[in-house]
Amino acid sequence: MCLGIPGRILDVRDEGGMAMGHVDFGGVRRDVCLAYVADEVQPGDYVVVHVGFAISKVNEEEARRTFELLREMSQLDELEWMKEVAERSLEGSRDREPEGSSPRSLDPSVNRP
Amino acid sequence: MKYLAEYQDPDLARALIARIRATATRRWVLMEVCGGQTHTIVRQGIDELIGDRVEMIHGPGCPVCVTPLEQIDRALHVATRPEVIFTSFGDMLRVPGSHTDLFHVRAEGGDVRVVYSPLDAVDLARAHPNREVVFFAVGFETTAPANAMAVWRAHQLGLTNFSVLVSHVTVPPAMTAILDSPDNRVQGFLAAGHVCTVMGWEEYEPLAERYRVPIVVTGFEPVDILEGIAMAVAQLEQGRCEVENQYARSVRRDGNRAARELVARVFRIVDRQWRGVGTIPASGLGLRPAFAAFDAEAKFDLAGIRAEEPEACRAGDVLRGRLKPHECPAFGTECAPEHPLGAPMVSSEGACAAYYNYGRTRLPIANPT
Repeated sequence: MCLGIPGRILDVRDEGGMAMGHVDFGGVRRDVCLAYVADEVQPGDYVVVHVGFAISKVNEEEARRTFELLREMSQLDELEWMKEVAERSLEGSRDREPEGSSPRSLDPSVNRP
Repeated sequence: MKYLAEYQDPDLARALIARIRATATRRWVLMEVCGGQTHTIVRQGIDELIGDRVEMIHGPGCPVCVTPLEQIDRALHVATRPEVIFTSFGDMLRVPGSHTDLFHVRAEGGDVRVVYSPLDAVDLARAHPNREVVFFAVGFETTAPANAMAVWRAHQLGLTNFSVLVSHVTVPPAMTAILDSPDNRVQGFLAAGHVCTVMGWEEYEPLAERYRVPIVVTGFEPVDILEGIAMAVAQLEQGRCEVENQYARSVRRDGNRAARELVARVFRIVDRQWRGVGTIPASGLGLRPAFAAFDAEAKFDLAGIRAEEPEACRAGDVLRGRLKPHECPAFGTECAPEHPLGAPMVSSEGACAAYYNYGRTRLPIANPT
């Protein structure tokens, strides 16, 4: 229920003293209450929207910084990861849960250790 | 940047998994607080990918799941009244009450409507002045600003046919209850990113200090969650116990001030009952006396409705992280989405629903108990 989706503000209007606006979520448009971010947003900004309310303006600088940090780390760790994958495949395949077991075929006897 | 797909990048995820595996030198137990995070973790298999040394246990952060049975029964009672249009987020419709659920009430002629925003319920009240519109105001701090605005708006518009059935809960008291329990195993938390978007993280600092647990405010995409885990594990390995913010693109230290102000104006802190857990002091929100006219409990005299939770449902143990969903004897047999014993099996954020829908029918080999 605490789902929050980032979307881009298309327009802002005043509706009886309350800031409202249309927000684009990857092609889907929704009317959203902007009252809690009204002081800091304008069309084109990204906001996180929860149950029809923008609860934050996406901080683009922070988003970019985190992402670049992760990118750098990903390049450094790539070698480490490949080494580990190689080692694991040498260990032999481990006994694992079969993929996509259907909920319909639930066997109560395997629910407990 | 669209602030979504970037955080689902498989290369980044792989790098973070490698980092977590390389950092953890011993076994650590982390709890993700939010049910949305639980779903990402179980759907993506993150708990299995990060290796044996970090165990993820699932927290109480599913508002639908923790809403007590008697509150559901009260909702059902109101929803059957002929003058009432009962409005709710879609998640609540399949939650079982003592005898029925909102879906069945609707099928039998009750006017039960799903709304996307609480303001839609206010609009319904304006459009139907001869009906009573009741909104089921459940949720954590994330949803409180939206629900507070609905009440505020109805107050501004002078509506007398709008009321809310409030079952609002707050996260820090639940975390405290978990940490205080004698069999607690949680050594670090991923705090709920959207709860903190509203509230900030100041109230988590005394928790981290008093209980010596790292708390990392974390987002919801796979890369967010993996980074949150990596940050918490790094703290544990270094003997630190701080509040850190992984979800900086949305969360500020003091949260959203405008939202907090309206929440404080409309609601006050009250004791709340949590499903399967019991009453936690000062763990929820109720309407302030100035807004008593919008209180559905008083308007429809619901306080007398009491309920006993079914013994077979171990929701309380699941919500406190004591039991993984598939360890419950009723999981997948007596209790399934088509015939649930408790809300965690039907809520889109419920841990039991996540295990069932993503085929977790057996304990992962990495986490023997």
